[in-house]
Amino acid sequence: MIKKISVLILIIFMLCMSVYGAAGTVKIGFMGALTGDVAMFGIPTLAGMKMAVEDVNKAGGVNGQKMVIVEADNRGDKPEAANIAQKFISRDRVAAIVGDPTTGITKVVAPICERNKVVLLSAGAVGTGVVELGKYIFRNTLLDSVAIPPLVDYFVNEAGYKRFAVVTSDNNDFSVSLTQVFKNAMKGKKAQIVADEKIKDGDKDFSAQITNIKAKKPDIIFFSGYYTEGALLMKEARKQGLNVNMFGGDGLYSPTLISLGGKAVEGSMVYVGFFPENPSPETAKFINAFKAKNNGKLPGLFETQGYDAIMMLAEAMKRAKSNDPKKFRDELAKIQNFKGVSGTITIQPNQEPIKSPVYLLEIKDGAYKLKAKVDVKVNK
Amino acid sequence: MIGEYLENLVNLVDAYYLQIFVNIGIAIILALGLNLVTGVTGQLSLGHAAFMSIGAFTGGILTIKLGMPFSVNLISSGLMAAFFGVLIGFPILRLSGDYLAIATLGFAEILKVILLNLDITNRALGLSVPLPNTPIPLPIYVWLTVLLVIAAMILIQNSRFGRALRAIREDEIAAETMGINTTLYKIQAFAIGAFTAGLGGCLYAHFIAYINPSDFGFSKSVDILNMVVLGGLGSIPGSVLGASLLTAAPEFLRFMERYRMLVYGALLVFLMIFRPNGLLGGVSVRQLVCKALGIKPRPRQSLSTDSNMEGRRVK
Repeated sequence: MIKKISVLILIIFMLCMSVYGAAGTVKIGFMGALTGDVAMFGIPTLAGMKMAVEDVNKAGGVNGQKMVIVEADNRGDKPEAANIAQKFISRDRVAAIVGDPTTGITKVVAPICERNKVVLLSAGAVGTGVVELGKYIFRNTLLDSVAIPPLVDYFVNEAGYKRFAVVTSDNNDFSVSLTQVFKNAMKGKKAQIVADEKIKDGDKDFSAQITNIKAKKPDIIFFSGYYTEGALLMKEARKQGLNVNMFGGDGLYSPTLISLGGKAVEGSMVYVGFFPENPSPETAKFINAFKAKNNGKLPGLFETQGYDAIMMLAEAMKRAKSNDPKKFRDELAKIQNFKGVSGTITIQPNQEPIKSPVYLLEIKDGAYKLKAKVDVKVNK
Repeated sequence: MIGEYLENLVNLVDAYYLQIFVNIGIAIILALGLNLVTGVTGQLSLGHAAFMSIGAFTGGILTIKLGMPFSVNLISSGLMAAFFGVLIGFPILRLSGDYLAIATLGFAEILKVILLNLDITNRALGLSVPLPNTPIPLPIYVWLTVLLVIAAMILIQNSRFGRALRAIREDEIAAETMGINTTLYKIQAFAIGAFTAGLGGCLYAHFIAYINPSDFGFSKSVDILNMVVLGGLGSIPGSVLGASLLTAAPEFLRFMERYRMLVYGALLVFLMIFRPNGLLGGVSVRQLVCKALGIKPRPRQSLSTDSNMEGRRVK
């Protein structure tokens, strides 16, 4: 029995060892979940990355080496993600890791990458305190602090809104921090916040808040929370005869907002990091290639971010003329106006990305339609 | 000096195996704590991860805010968890069986919600924990703690205290008749279990470097319970084996890619069918070792040698 077990263990070991890769390739680790609760972020990211690697290799690879993705499923589990990061680095000897699309796991993996001087480029983390974890930690996502100021400009200058009502869900961290960003962006603008109401996630009755808001006669309601409360809030507004629209972040971006809100959310607006309508030439090319591969399915935000992550790494490697993370890290940090498929990306001196444009969507006839592409200016 | 030497020593080990090895160590600490409560004393607890989270956040906050020496920090985390163990042990350990399980589950959920709403735990954003304030590398710290916990558990199980706990598991009324203060003993066992969970949590927080209250939910508690049941309830070598296997298995099954968790689940089902008492349930490791070495096992005096009593299922 013991003999059998030891033979079995030996076989398993050998199988693990045989994964050792061939020389002459530059390896990129995919960190993300392919199964479990957060697989809906990991699977599209990987799909985008694979398309990018194909394109890179078709163009001759980077610095004479072919690019290869090493994938491993972390199930959204933190200890497992740490194991995988260590495996990528010490077994597979990856030059960079792309992922994780969630902020929490990115924060687990970041110290390991930083310690081993391997570039980590998260194609999805939007929470605070990510790139602060080290010199080798990057991301290519649209941050609320980047998106909100140009949107406020757009609403004040182009749409002509002067009186804003703000509604915050104060037991929702996303909502609390988004409201903070919004209030900061409103400072010094020729517009004012006329009402500042609080709700809670899970509330059903918003009559008191809407009554207060209605008395202040706002032009528009900014709601920083999620879609369920958003839909109910607007229903109450219409019930009381308050005919202004709502706008908010991608917490509102869900088909549920429309199915729950119905007529009441008609005209409401949300902003997102990617929308496949009215694309730039780069994006159009990607959308067509993606559709050809996936039976006409349109790519989403995570596919484009995964694609851009690989392309940014390839660009940095080419500029540094080296596939050594210690060298191309500096080039990655200097990327300016990178024409990606999810938008134009600039890495700021503090390593946080600026991404342009912001896609402002409006609900029309029961569907999200592109209203405007708002450009983000890089202020130096 | 010593720190540098140890650091070099640790660096000799392959980093990937070391990572898995440390995860195994932390799992062993957690499993042994639960084994004392559920395996030895027979009190089914579904809230072990809650004590782990208390240890993790105490340890994390002490390192972040005060930069305390890690050994002090580790013990404070354990004590904090033990304090909570006693606090909730008083009301809920009067329950038994399913009722106790649900009460511990409720406690774990309440704690998670509280931690999600405290400013000091950074609410839902979680805490990034810096490296601990100690010259000794963390992997060595973890395994030293593992050895200490194993030694302590062996001592406890073979003491008068351990026998009393076992008596409570077998028949609470009979135990009470024999003069055992069952509530007191149960709370003590609970506190020790919570203490080790606190140690495990503190080590986990510093090793993983990022903690979030939602990491310590029901599924984490069930994971730990899995290790104890798979290894064999009440068996210390069993808990060690169960924790090692269940932590290492997802890594060793990685070559199966997406079928991995399927196989993992199937393995659990088969193990429970063919070894319902757990891998080492009802097995005396001491006798096995003696047999392998060809020595005639020396009969022990105490009741704890009765291998039939190891690995009983929870009532």
